[in-house]
Order: sequence, then structure tokens, then C-alpha cells
Amino acid sequence: MTYFSFLMTEFCVLWRRKHDVFNAVLFFIIVVSLFPLGIDPAPEFLAPASGGILWCAAVLSILMVIEGIFKEDYRDGSLEQWLVSGLYLPLLVLLKLIVQWAGVVMPLLMVMPLLSQMLYLPSGSFWVLIMTVVLGTPSLFLIGAIGAALTVSLRQGAMLVMLLILPFYLPVIIFAVSAIRASQEGAPYFGFLAMLLAMSLLSLVISPFMTAVAVKASVN
Amino acid sequence: MCAGLSVQLVAGEAIRILGVNGAGKSSLLKVIAGVMSPLKGEIHYLGQDVTHDRRPLQQDLLYLGHSLGIKNLLTVSEHIRHYCPSVLPETLQTVLTQLGLIDYADTQVKALSAGQKQRVALSRLWVENKALWLLDEPFATLDVNAVALLELRIKQHVSADGLVLFTTHQEVLSLNAREVSWLV
Repeated sequence: MTYFSFLMTEFCVLWRRKHDVFNAVLFFIIVVSLFPLGIDPAPEFLAPASGGILWCAAVLSILMVIEGIFKEDYRDGSLEQWLVSGLYLPLLVLLKLIVQWAGVVMPLLMVMPLLSQMLYLPSGSFWVLIMTVVLGTPSLFLIGAIGAALTVSLRQGAMLVMLLILPFYLPVIIFAVSAIRASQEGAPYFGFLAMLLAMSLLSLVISPFMTAVAVKASVN
Repeated sequence: MCAGLSVQLVAGEAIRILGVNGAGKSSLLKVIAGVMSPLKGEIHYLGQDVTHDRRPLQQDLLYLGHSLGIKNLLTVSEHIRHYCPSVLPETLQTVLTQLGLIDYADTQVKALSAGQKQRVALSRLWVENKALWLLDEPFATLDVNAVALLELRIKQHVSADGLVLFTTHQEVLSLNAREVSWLV
């Protein structure tokens, strides 16, 4: 096994499990669509709330995926093979997360224009929304992977994953929504985007190593 | 588990690990491979202490545990290429033919029987060039022909100065393996 063959296999498996990604995107669309129907369809309510609605729905969709990110690898013995491959485990973890991030976030980005229009997000704020998703969601995957790896051997680990990682998701949500809100109000928002980037970079430095340790502990 | 066990492995031999259920046969293989960490003791490979960093050993290692490390959504050929990307197409064809999997080359693993999945996992023994094989119950679920084929492959590997450490409850007399056993 090489890093390249590992990466190709991950893409291949993700493509063949596209129904999982489809479910997450569908869930995202449903949650966003329910807000105007369930609360208030007026633009005066939806426009200021649109950033928060889109981000909360995106986080929930990512949570759906992240919990099971290593489950199949654990069941079929792939995690054991990662450990004995002689390859650098944190790098394997990182490659898997890159594939998963691309597989989930790209479809979410594709439906964002339609949903943001539905929520009356001003067009000037749309690109800020996209930037928050691109800069913020990597940290969601990186943080989530630690929880997923810690609970991979548990049968009912979904709730535990959420309890473990949700507190770390809150700052990301707060800064992302603040950036969108600031852009809507004409206030500077680069500081919020910089914070999102910083959190993703910090997660990038820490998470692959912690996830690798957690994977090893779970397989043990 | 495995307390007091001391084994010296020499290239060019097959070693069968014996023990009752729960004795720690699989755990021993996992500890050597680096899946588990030993609570006590040391592991040396080619004179080097690899107890805390198994990478020098893993360069030469092929480990097949109870979980076969097969992804259900990959085809048989994709699985082999995943573990051995440099495999030549003609080698792949030959190995698949030998293992009776040639008709399933483009079939996803999830559609195969347990014995066929075991063959797919074992196909790595034919295509990967690793000196040390750690095989946990490699004969399980195999039919008579496949058992004979695997025995032959192990003999070939041993005669080429390879080292095979395996667990099995089946009688594989033809292998003439050294036996290591202990009681719990």
C-alpha cells in the first residue's frame, strides 16, 4: 500500500458510497427548507437569520457523516492494515479526511446558491458565506475525526461523538455566522474569516496526531 | 497473556502457533505486527529493538488478521492494486487464475462468499514481496484445493528464505512447521 493507492481507494469507496453523501446533502436541504415553512417566510426574518440557518444545517449534515467516518474501516480490518502498513498513520488519517471533506462539502457548496436565495441572503454576503464554509468546515472534520476515532469500537457511539465534539464546534459556528452577519451589516468581516482559518490550521496541526493515537487505542 | 513466552524466529521456516481458544495466539501476532502494544517484553528484528517503533519490521511484514482488511465496495482487482499498486497486469491475471478468482476480477468483494473473500485476502501473498508473513487462521473457510494452494505458497516462501508465522487449528502436516505452544 502506498499513500497514492490509499488516496485513490478512498476516492473510489466514497464514490461507491455516494448515497451517504447524498443523504447528508438531502438532510441539509430539508433542514434549511423547513425554517421558512416552520417559523416565518418573511424576508425580514430570514435574511438576518440565513447565515445561522445555513451553518447549523451544514454542521448537522457533517455530524451525520463524521460519526461513521472510520466505522467501516474498523469493521473490515482496514484500520489494522493502516497500523501495520509502515506508512505514517497521521498522514493516512489526513488523506482520508481530505477525501471525506471534499466529498461532503463540495456538494453542500453546490446547493448553497439556491438555498441562500431561498433565505434572502444578500448577494454581497453570498461569497462571505462560501468563504466561511471553505475556511471553517475543515476544522469541523478535523475535530470530528478525533471523536469518531475514539468511539469507533463502540456500537452506539453517535451520541458520545456529539457530546465530545459539539463544544469544539461552537466557536466555529459563532465566528462563521458572525462573519456573514457582519458582511450583511457592512461591517468588516475579515477578522472572523481569519479566526476560522486559524482554527482550521490549528486543527490541522493537532488533529491528525490525536486521531492517529485514538485509532491505535481503539484498535488495541 | 503470553507471559513467559520467548520465541526466536529464523528466516526460512514456518512456525505454527498452537494454543487453546483464548490463549492469545492472535494477540501474539497483533503484538508482533504492531497492532497492539506489549505490556511487557521486547521485540527485536534483525538485531534492532522494535518494541516501540515497529516500522523497520513493518517494511518486511505482511499481516492478515481475522478481519481481512478487504473493502466490500472494491472489486477483486482493485483490492489487489490497493495493497500492491505496482503489480503487473499479467501477474494479476496469473494470480487470479491460480486462486480461481479470474471470473470475479471485476466483481465487488461484497458479492463473494466467505471462502472467496479469504482467497482475495490471501492473494496478497502472491503479489507482495514481503519476507515476514503473520497469518491468523489463514486456512479458515478455505476449501481443500485452496488449502493445498496456500500450503504450496507457504512452502515456496519458506524455501526462498521467507518466514511464516501462523495460527491454525487445522492439521497442515505437509508444511512441516515448527510448533510453538503454551497453556494459558
